[in-house]
This record gives sequence, C-alpha cells and structure tokens, in this order.
Amino acid sequence: MNAREAILSRLKDDSDIDIATEAAALLGTPERPAVDIAQVEAEFLARLALPSVSASHDDIETIEELPAAVARYLDAQGEARALCLPPDPRLSGCDWSGFALHQDAAPDEAAALAIARKGIAETGSLIFETSPQAPMLPNFLTLHHLVLLRVADIAPWLEEAPLAGPQPRAHYWITGVSGTTDIEGTYVRGAHGPRFLHVILLRGDFPHMSEQ
Amino acid sequence: MSGAPAEATRFKARADAALADRILKVAVERTAGTAEAKRAVAVDAFPDFQAARTRAAAIKDHVVAHLGHYLEQFEANATAAGAKVHWARTADEACDIVIALCKAAKAKSVARSKSMLGEEIGLPHALAEAGIGRVETDLAEHIIQLADERPSHIIWPAMHKTREQVSALFKAKHRLPHEEETIAAMAESARRELRTQMLGADVGISGANFLIADSGAICTVTNEGNAELSLVPPRVHIVTAGIEKIVPSMPHAVHMLRLLARSATGAALTQYTTFYTGPKRPGDRDGPEEMHIVLVDNGRTRMREDGLAEMLRCIRCGACMNHCVVFRQIGGHAYGGTYPGPMGAVLTPVLDGLKQSRDLPNACTMNGKCQEVCPVRIPLPTLLRGWREKSWREGLEPQSLRAGLGLWAWVATRPRLYRMGTGMAVRAMRLLGSKGWIRTLPLAGGWTTYRDMPKPAAQTFMDQYRKERGR
Amino acid sequence: MTQRKVALFVTCLVDMMRPRIGFAAIRALEAAGCDVVVPEGQTCCGQPALNSGDTNHAIALARQTIVALEPYEAVVVPSGSCGGTIRCHYPELFEHDPIWLPRAQAVAAKTWEIMAYLDEQCGWKPEGVQVDAKATYHDSCSGLRELGVKAQPRRLLKPIAGLELTPLAGEETCCGFGGTFCVKYPAISNAIVGEKADAIEATGADLLLAGDLGCLMNMAGKLNRQGSKVRAFHAIELIAGMGDGPAIGEEA
Repeated sequence: MNAREAILSRLKDDSDIDIATEAAALLGTPERPAVDIAQVEAEFLARLALPSVSASHDDIETIEELPAAVARYLDAQGEARALCLPPDPRLSGCDWSGFALHQDAAPDEAAALAIARKGIAETGSLIFETSPQAPMLPNFLTLHHLVLLRVADIAPWLEEAPLAGPQPRAHYWITGVSGTTDIEGTYVRGAHGPRFLHVILLRGDFPHMSEQ
Repeated sequence: MSGAPAEATRFKARADAALADRILKVAVERTAGTAEAKRAVAVDAFPDFQAARTRAAAIKDHVVAHLGHYLEQFEANATAAGAKVHWARTADEACDIVIALCKAAKAKSVARSKSMLGEEIGLPHALAEAGIGRVETDLAEHIIQLADERPSHIIWPAMHKTREQVSALFKAKHRLPHEEETIAAMAESARRELRTQMLGADVGISGANFLIADSGAICTVTNEGNAELSLVPPRVHIVTAGIEKIVPSMPHAVHMLRLLARSATGAALTQYTTFYTGPKRPGDRDGPEEMHIVLVDNGRTRMREDGLAEMLRCIRCGACMNHCVVFRQIGGHAYGGTYPGPMGAVLTPVLDGLKQSRDLPNACTMNGKCQEVCPVRIPLPTLLRGWREKSWREGLEPQSLRAGLGLWAWVATRPRLYRMGTGMAVRAMRLLGSKGWIRTLPLAGGWTTYRDMPKPAAQTFMDQYRKERGR
Repeated sequence: MTQRKVALFVTCLVDMMRPRIGFAAIRALEAAGCDVVVPEGQTCCGQPALNSGDTNHAIALARQTIVALEPYEAVVVPSGSCGGTIRCHYPELFEHDPIWLPRAQAVAAKTWEIMAYLDEQCGWKPEGVQVDAKATYHDSCSGLRELGVKAQPRRLLKPIAGLELTPLAGEETCCGFGGTFCVKYPAISNAIVGEKADAIEATGADLLLAGDLGCLMNMAGKLNRQGSKVRAFHAIELIAGMGDGPAIGEEA
C-alpha cells in the first residue's frame, strides 16, 4: 500500500450525510467586525490609518491624475521619480513623462505601483491577483509600495475578497507593510519588503471600463 | 533510548536551568506579555468572539470527521491547477520526498519560509544531511539558524533571545552588520543579508496555514512578507503541510483567519495573506515553474483514532503558550519538543513517544486558561489528563507516586480508617510546627523548600463536628 | 418556608487543615435557611487520583462520594476545584458506565460551590457583618473556569461593613498550586507563586481572600516565607462573620 492509500484508508468516511450542505451550514451568519456599509470608504481609511497597517493615502478623480499623485508622493519622500510599473493596459493612458519606468523590479527597488482589485473596509486590506499584467514580486521587493484602488472597489468584509471561478497562481491580501516583532517583541517596519504603503484612491473609473 | 526517569530528570534540569536564567524570563515576559495584552484588546473589540470560537471549532471538527473526503477533493483541485500532490505517512517519508524534489531540481540552496511542520519533520536537518544549503527567511528563524538552535515558540521562534544576543550574533555572522545598536538597525542588517540569498534560491519551501479543499490553494500568513519573497522567485515551490490544515472553502478560511491573527498577535490580520494555486500560469511574469504539495500524516490519523481528534483543530496561533503560567516561567526550550506550551504538551507524546515526554502533560496546573483562550476551543486540560491516564496505565509514573497514591486511596475508600488516619496525621503535623507554621515537613520537601505550611487545627473538621453536634 | 436539606461536602483539605472553613460554610448556609447535614461516608472527592491519571482509584472515590451525597436535595462544597471534580469530572469518569453515569450526573447537577449556592440558589446576603480591612480577591482557577464563580463571592463580600475590596493584578492567573503539581514540579510552582505573592503585596491589602484552600495555603505559605504581613482567609469565613478569628497560619 502506498502512502496515499495508507492514509486515506484510515480516513474512511461511512456517514451518508451531504458534506457540502453541512459545510455550507457551518458558515451561517459569520461573526465579524462591525462595518457601516453606508460609510465603507471612511471605514476603510480608518483601518488604513491603524498602527498595524499605517498606510498613507491620496485621492484622485481620474486616472490621468495618477502620475501627478505618484510624483507628489515620491517627491515628498525624497525619492527619485523612478517607478516599477506593471504592464496593465489600464495605466497606458497615463502620461509618465519625467518618470524612469521599468517593468521588472530590481533587488533594491525603491518604488512600485500596483492596482488592487478590491479594498476591504473590515481590515484595510488590499486584494490582488497575479496575471500576465500583474507580477507579484515587485510588490514585495519594493521599499515604497504604491497601490491604486478605485473607491467603487471598496467592499465591507473579507468574504468579498476571494475571486470566483478558476484561481490565478496567487491571490493575496496586503494589510500593511513588511513588519516584524521578532527581536524582543519590538515592532520594526520594512523587515524584508515594503517599509511604506501608500494608497491612491481613484474616485472615477478606469478608462474604457464602460466599453468593456 | 533512555527510560522515563532519566528523561524526567532532563525535563526538570532544563526547567531549573530556565528558571535560573533571568534574561530568558525577561525576554519571554516581554513578547508573551505584549501578545497577551494585545489579544485581550482584539478579542474585546470583536463582536461575539465566543460564538466565533464555537463556529471555528465546528468547522475544524467537520473537516476532521470528513478528512478523507476533503484530502481527495484538495488533491484533485490542486492537481487540476498544475500542482503535484505527494503523500507522506511519516516525518522520514516527508523529508525523503522533499530532498528528492530538491535533488531533481538540482537545488544548491533552498529558501525556507517558517513552518512548524518543517520543524516537526526535521526538514532543516534533512536538508543539511543532503548537502543542500538552506536560507531561513523569517527573521526569527534566521536568528535561530545563525545560533544553531531550535525555535522556542511557534509564532516567535527567537522569543528567548535578547537584543544584545541578537546583536552579537549578527556582528559575527553578517557580511555587512549593523553599526548602530538599535533593533531597527539589526533588522536592516538581516534585510541586507537575506535579500540576495532569497532571490538566489533554487527552491522555495513553505508550510501552509490552510489548504483550501474546493480550489486546491495553499495559504501562508506572514507579517514580514518573507513567504512571498521565498516562494515567488525560485523555479520550484515545495509545500509541506499537515493533513489537518484543510478547510472546505475560502469563506471557511476567512473565518479561521479572523481568529488566527487576533489570537496570535492581536492584529485583525497578518500583513500578508497569500493563497497559492498551482505553479505560474502561461504569460505570468513571475512565480515558480513547479509546485509540489507534500501532505504529511506523521501521527495525525492515529490522533484521530486515539481520542485526540480535538487536537487536530489546532491552528497554531500560540495563544495557549502565551497565556500558560508554566510556559511563562520556563520558556519553550525546556519542553524539549518541536511544539512547546500546552499544545506542545499534547502533541509531543504523539511525536516523540509518551515515555520520552511523560513530564509534559504532568507539568501543568490544570488551570484551564489555555482552553479559555484557544480560538478553536480545544479542551487542552482534558487531553493532558488523557495522557496522564495513559502514562499511569502504562506504568510510566514514578513508583513512589504510585505507591503513595495507592495507599492514600486505600485509606480514603475506608471512611472510618480515614478518620483515624487524618486525626493522627493532624496531631503529628502539629508537633512539627511553631507559631502556626511548619517550615520543614518530611515527605513534603517540594512544598516547604519554597513556602511554609500552615499548621493544621488541633482536630479535624469531622472530629470537631461530631463532638459539637453529638453525631 | 420549607428548609432546604443541604449536604456539606467538607473536602479533605478543609477537614484536615482548616476546619473553620467548614463551620463557616455551615453557619452561612443556616443563616440562609438551609438544614445542613454532613454525610458520614465522605472523605476525598478523588481529585488527586483523577489528576494523576489514576482512574481506577478516582472512580472508587467517586462512587463512594456519590453514594454519600445522592440522598440530599443539594450538595455544597467550600472549594471550586472539589466542586468542579464532582460537577464536571464525575460524569466524564462514568461516561461508559450505564449504571453509574445517571447517578454521577444527578449528583453533579445538584452540586454547588458554597458562594455560588448562597448567592444564586439562596439569594442570600450576609447581614450585620463588619470587617475593617482592605482585602484583595484571587479567583481560583477551577471555580472560575469550571463553575463560573466570579461575581458571586464579590456580591457576598460587598455587604460586609468596613471591608474595602481592592483589585488584584492578574486575579485570574493561576497561583501555581495545581494540586500535586506543586510537589511534582516545586521549582516551577515556586516561580509562579512568587509572582502571585508579589502581585498580592503590590495591592497594599491587609487580607487575601479566595475560595479554595489549596490555593490559599500555597499563596499564604509563600507570603509568610517572604515575611509578608498579608493575612489569608477563605472568603466564606468573612461572609459567615468569622473574619475575626485566626487567619491561615495563625495560632487559634
């Protein structure tokens, strides 16, 4: 008997219950933090500001304002206008003149931008997936992680984070910066990855969204 | 292997050494004390945490009851997503699979993201024996690796180290060590040291906090982001996971995640929560070419059969040890196993044998705090009592205790004799005391070495009561 | 009003070490209108055997205790851990015994910790009791977590004139007694009770109160060894108006 058969043979399930029905019933009405669904943006921003998340944020009306917002942030941080930018068609309409752009992150990448599919008010989390237009590594290598999030994509609870249907290689939730308390329980930011997280809220729509 | 008495002496010797180490006490108190305080705040702020615990326990019990079904479902979905699923009955089988995969990948170095299952199966040792370089990427595990030690806590493996000890270690081992004596500068030194090593690894190895049955995804949670940096760049990603890590679906995982971080650190979530499903897809710009998932039994099916099914609910949050009065005094190394504290005292006899570890279930005051804080309501004291029963049945308890308890029970089941005996004992004890206290009491040196024993009253309650009431 | 016929399970520790806790329990129960009986057949509830894994002896003592206690309307125990043994663990001991399980369950269902019984079942409060002192209260673990004893002793102590109750930091943290634990692992137990003694001293209280004699002997014994002036009583002694007598470790 191989290992698989040996293990499964000890886990024989004689019950004739409908396992899927029982599993679904276990979820019921989940206990979760209160979120005012009329105020999801304010709730989201309040969580972003918590010490455990400690992200800064900015506001833009249209996607065309994104480069200016990124420039504002980098200038304020004293960083060069250099940016690791994913090959996402939603960003192609932006005028990045004055920026040194690249698609692959360097080991000591200073700033990278990513587009979050969702923001979650319950925790201040940003939700991402990998795809040919969305690499993952830059978001973990970079010192400054800049995230574009459409206000309309803020959802109240984590139940709305998962992606339906076939899964991409990675689906990930970012709720703050790379931190550690491994030495004497003292919190240090930037353990391995980002030391700064900056969310740029887009009030309007992505380009061509209505035509898609 | 040596017998029980020798091991008992070793546990006590380790505990004594830990008790004498005041630096250890400070280090443990600092981290566990902070975790305890932060958890309390998080739990108070959460609406109906008790109901959430009940639900979490029910979800895990459901999974454990239908574990075969869920493992097959997970296997099918992970395979469909392009991952290769392997099965291991024992620690050795699991290590053999991982080493074979590393050799097939011609791996010179592997990046490891902290995994207690990896520690449980002895993976660091197996990699060393196979001559494969290993980079521990969690900061605490990196400290442990440099110091050539074992983790002392499942969430903060380097809990026992002070900043001074870490500083000396980094200065001796890092290429460009910190100059300023701050914790931030030390963390920065580790960042410099580890980054290039992580990016140059051939294989990334992780555990899994959850296995999602209906998608075949594996979930890691970290605050440092080291899992992602260890698992995205290498060509091969190997996961070793205990078979009990399954949850039916993402909404179930969401519920467990809400409890996990709050119980461990008091945060709503860890900074990074990632679900990996199979290797990179066509066109993806990063991610591994191969993903392997090793499902490890190592005693878990036996636990399910032998009355320890409730222990398979454990989500490894560490709350039980943070709140344990014994752990807080002796730290994690004194326990001598992979897992310390109350959950470790239940698991170590499964993994290392009861004969080697009979002290662990006994070195507990049965105060019930661990059960009170457990996010999945594991009745830890009941499970520890179960080990004590087994140890008694198998004759592993010291002969002196067996004889003493036997004599006492023989008398106590004979009330008339018992009354005479207690009356005499009281009178004898009174001879040893002065001014209300007894400072040394024969056969109770364990008590009077450290504290005084109040002198009993002149007569037992039963004698006085009979006299007063004339019954 | 018909008097409730209540059996007092004295506990072996109170029987041998501090009988006045048993008499205080009787006094308070009688003041609350109970007819108290001390059944002859009782000795020890079997907790030391139970917690050592010696199930056979634990079962033998449980049977003896069940037989002694089952004739009465209610069983009252001046100890959370002995009460917890009868109430929570007896039914577990007879889980697979169809004859004894119902008897164990019946006794378990009518067994109460003394202060919980006075407060919840009798709705009684002490009257005319005066103790001029500052006291602090330690919540013994079994009473707290197995029987939910928390508010009841505080409600019963509140009407005592002159008594000021000051909170103890870590009042729900184990004192390190743990029954046989304290003699099996004395050094660890000592480290735990040492911290507890420091926390008690830090309250500035004159009196240490609790609901379990084992824990009280552990804490009082450590306090005395450290030269502390804090005096320790079982809370029921004060509640029954017997707080003017000798504290634990004081000559009568």
